Amino acid sequence: MVEKQVIVQNQLGIHARPATLLVQMAAKFEAEIYLSKGEVRRINGKSIMGVMMLAAEHGAEVLVEADGEDEAEAVESVAHLLASKFEDLT
Amino acid sequence: MTELPLSTLLKVYGRRLGMRLLAGEKGMNRTINSSDANRPGLTLTGFVEVVTFDLAQILGNHEIDYLRTLTPERRFQALEIIYQFDIPCVVITGRGRLLPELKVLANKHDVPLLRSDFDTTKFIHLLHFYLDDVFAPHATVHGTLMDVHGVGLLFAGRSAIGKSEVGLDLVERGHRLVADDTVIITRQAQGILVGRSPQLLQDHMEIRGIGVVDVKRLFGIGGTRRQKRVEVVVTLVDWDKQLNYERIGLEDVVETMLGVEVPEVKIPIFPGKNITVIAETIAFNHLLRVDGYHAAQELNKRLIRKMRKKGKKIS
Repeated sequence: MVEKQVIVQNQLGIHARPATLLVQMAAKFEAEIYLSKGEVRRINGKSIMGVMMLAAEHGAEVLVEADGEDEAEAVESVAHLLASKFEDLT
Repeated sequence: MTELPLSTLLKVYGRRLGMRLLAGEKGMNRTINSSDANRPGLTLTGFVEVVTFDLAQILGNHEIDYLRTLTPERRFQALEIIYQFDIPCVVITGRGRLLPELKVLANKHDVPLLRSDFDTTKFIHLLHFYLDDVFAPHATVHGTLMDVHGVGLLFAGRSAIGKSEVGLDLVERGHRLVADDTVIITRQAQGILVGRSPQLLQDHMEIRGIGVVDVKRLFGIGGTRRQKRVEVVVTLVDWDKQLNYERIGLEDVVETMLGVEVPEVKIPIFPGKNITVIAETIAFNHLLRVDGYHAAQELNKRLIRKMRKKGKKIS
């Protein structure tokens, strides 16, 4: 199990478009990926509805956890994307 | 470009156009390539700078009345002007009198002379009504076209992926088959695509393992329909873990057919997946969108509102 805490940088927060990119990236890994934010604990990082339910606004702290063969790489990639500004998106 | 021989025109549409042949029978193998027609009024007066000679030439009351003011000799000369071009046919409409010169010229040049009982305006209108479809751009595509809840879904995808099976399942649930395997798509006015089956294959389907079945006989007249507008393309694809599939549906994906953009939905399939119920959902979802409701956009708006409120509390 690997984990990493990140802060959401995207101005509008993790809305539908960033969430889509996030689950698409998460789905590429074998490892189970979980996201947590405050009260919302360990939602499945490969589930679009789950990621949207996080409602991770700009500045929110999100914990990324991964469990499985490629967990280190998975956490790194997902955390990096989560903390990015999703430049191409509005 | 579609060429319609006059013999076919008369045989298939003659009755509906109120049309019969008067002279120039040898020219019935001539063809028309448009549902437009030309009224050669000015040409008769000798103005030949602009002549649309490849269209059916219509002589209505005006043209005939004008010709009748001329001496027989001048009348013949005036009509010869039209016949010097390679025109497909001449149609006398309405109550226009049959001038003897017309018959002579028709037989001399082997250009059919026809009469329609309808007046000029009505005849031109009917010509468009019946022939626009014949000359409209069309293409043949591989797929299955179904009417699902009144929405035309064109199932596409590689051979043997199960398009016909989905179609059969949909018919069983009360939806209607338009065409299986081969769909003829015609582009009608204002970017509307209409699909139908080749006449030979109509109402039939090939189901692997059974062979050819007659859907109309099996499920009744309500199980099939003649033609349907193509509104959504549903492409069935083999499931591939490496590929990204639509997860939220914010963006509208389109497929371009005959220059017309049609919404496209890609459905990855694997054993046990129920495409039928997904197809019904696609149809309803399309109706909702046409009605102005976009589920993914509405949910996203709700989510953004929620995050904005939280952001304010923090700062």
